[in-house]
Amino acid sequence: MELGYSAVFSNLAKACEKQLRPREAELCWKISGYFDGEVPAQAPGGGALQDARPMDLVDFGARCASDESNHFAATKEAAEGADDRGALRMAVWGSKVNAIQKSVAERSAKLGETLLQDKSIFVCEACGFIFIGQEAPEVCPVCKAPSFRFSKIS
Amino acid sequence: MHAARNLRLCSKDCVCLFVCPTKATDTENGQVDFAKCLDGCRLCVDACPSHALYLVPGDYSEPAAKDGRVAETLLALLEEKAREERAIHHAVADASSPVLGSPTSALILKALEKSLRIVAEDAAREAAYMLPQSKATLNLIDQLLEERPARSGGEFPERELRELKELLSRA
Repeated sequence: MELGYSAVFSNLAKACEKQLRPREAELCWKISGYFDGEVPAQAPGGGALQDARPMDLVDFGARCASDESNHFAATKEAAEGADDRGALRMAVWGSKVNAIQKSVAERSAKLGETLLQDKSIFVCEACGFIFIGQEAPEVCPVCKAPSFRFSKIS
Repeated sequence: MHAARNLRLCSKDCVCLFVCPTKATDTENGQVDFAKCLDGCRLCVDACPSHALYLVPGDYSEPAAKDGRVAETLLALLEEKAREERAIHHAVADASSPVLGSPTSALILKALEKSLRIVAEDAAREAAYMLPQSKATLNLIDQLLEERPARSGGEFPERELRELKELLSRA
């Protein structure tokens, strides 16, 4: 692992909050924040950042398509082989969210300023689903979380 | 295992105040006083008509080890989504600049960044790091303390990692 540490610790921070352990959560958020920093180019693994330069929306859409046929396909296959329902659930939701990420990026690249006319953009805190509309949906179509789990991006 | 109150569900019927033998449910901050709450008592949990009280386990059983190939594919997915999140993060900085970007694309990029983080966290959870108290998490803390990966813009969080390890091992 190189770039994934920050997400590992932000996930642990949320888990500590749910267990009502505020001090542990605070420590996890700080550690996560440290790993948001850049890997120095001369450090081991610094070369891994070569493709972490700003990505435009068209490139990102293509990247999502390749994730679907590589990462998500491999994870689904491994999870089914090992009969791991948790991992399979992650791969199924993740691949649906990946398709939405791709579509949002492509529509944004094509429509520019008109994409959000009189509309807002919301993200489901439970699964990452992105919704464009006037109000958050009553239920997340991917993970079925209720509307209060959506955050409005501003 | 102590009780906790979900204020989103609490309808202030206050039955918990009558049944609690130690007055742990009677506080000013809305939450149960964990120090007064009796381990596993659950009188308030069963009495609450709104299901607003629940028990928080003090210790969890160790999760079953993941299949090697499942963990490997999930960690690769986590790393890929983290890399994309970072690339989009750099683009957010560009889009926010008045010369390069537009308000709409800045919002779209911010939404993508957040969405990518949530997917990466889900992969991390299923790969091994669901429970803060698990061996996998404690081993990762040890590994980081040993390897001290460098990052720009901050001091290596040694104190935080040590305190976290101490608190989680005690749990």
